[in-house]
Amino acid sequence: MARLHTMPEPMRSHLSDLPCPTFDTRPWVTGPPLSRRRVAILSTAGLHRREDRPFEGMTGDYRVIPDTCTAKDLVMTHISTNFDRTGFVQDWNVVFPVDRLHELAADQIIGSVAEFHYSFMGAADPGAMEQAAWRLAGLLKGDAVDAVLLVPV
Amino acid sequence: MGALGHYLETQGIPTTQISLIREHTQTIQPPRALWVPFALGRPLGRPGDPAFQTRVILAALALLEAETGPVLTDFPDDAPEASEPAEAEMDLPACPVSLARPEGQKTETEQLLETFRQELADSRSWYDMATARRGFSSVAYFAPQAAFQVFNDFLLDKPIPLDGNIASTALALRLAAQDLKAAYFESVMVRPDVTLPDDTAFNRWFWQKTAAGEVLRAVRDKCRAADDAALKLNGDLLLVPMDQAFA
Repeated sequence: MARLHTMPEPMRSHLSDLPCPTFDTRPWVTGPPLSRRRVAILSTAGLHRREDRPFEGMTGDYRVIPDTCTAKDLVMTHISTNFDRTGFVQDWNVVFPVDRLHELAADQIIGSVAEFHYSFMGAADPGAMEQAAWRLAGLLKGDAVDAVLLVPV
Repeated sequence: MGALGHYLETQGIPTTQISLIREHTQTIQPPRALWVPFALGRPLGRPGDPAFQTRVILAALALLEAETGPVLTDFPDDAPEASEPAEAEMDLPACPVSLARPEGQKTETEQLLETFRQELADSRSWYDMATARRGFSSVAYFAPQAAFQVFNDFLLDKPIPLDGNIASTALALRLAAQDLKAAYFESVMVRPDVTLPDDTAFNRWFWQKTAAGEVLRAVRDKCRAADDAALKLNGDLLLVPMDQAFA
């Protein structure tokens, strides 16, 4: 249960004390109806293809996950040991809900699923991810993505 | 997570996110967020429950059609709970760790490693069966025997073989620890004599009942005593969860 006030110590204080960035602007981009949107997943679970490099530290880098990737191809090397991984072992959709996205596309509830998805390792400083996120925006535009589903872990 | 939403939206990409820590999202104020009351590590709720996962995704995607923002809404339901996790925990197998041996024989570390080796041997068939049944394993780099070798070599001051992707002892230890936990859970998934534990029961069992958990605490302690900064970080934060650190 991820209600901060019910978490046991020292986890509660650790999470309460984590510095969070604040911003002066409130960007807001609109788009077509959901049934015409092309959706990509951006995870911070430290996911990557089995043959790709493991996440090592706080550098704010990301990995590319082709939409053709299957559950057996995807592994998790997030550095934290303080969250559950047994859900991911049983069903990758608990962390990376790509099968659910494809079902929504088949049912025409969303327009389509992107050709590529992406993962950061969420323990990194958000500031370290900013430059990478800008580069990612160009890649997403190139894939005609107009909806990104951000999934933490 | 919220910062990434802000960065992408600034660059013209519409985003919506799932939030696991509501207080963080309230501070960051990303464009659109759905807070869910699920365990860390399970942002979509419960494994093997596609209908519930779809409800969560649709609730997050629906925020893309909000007219103004930032938007932070709450998902109304907790994830369905597994049944009787405490009972399941009682049934889980493990090798008892006993370090009482006559003097002149193996050291405590050698005894612990021998118990660990026996525990792995006992669970090996189940791990192999789980892998065969699913056609894959969530173990990323170190199958159980390879993980054993990494911890054995580290604890006995032997060099650990490294390669291009895993270029430091600290990284090898962290990845081997993650893979070992995944292998233990996969072994439990197929045993006929246990009820599949939920994440809390599994962690309590792994860290408090198994030789593997005991070995990882020994590795943690040795890392803490090392001069290398990456090993120290391993020991302080990255091998044993905070809620099991003092058990």
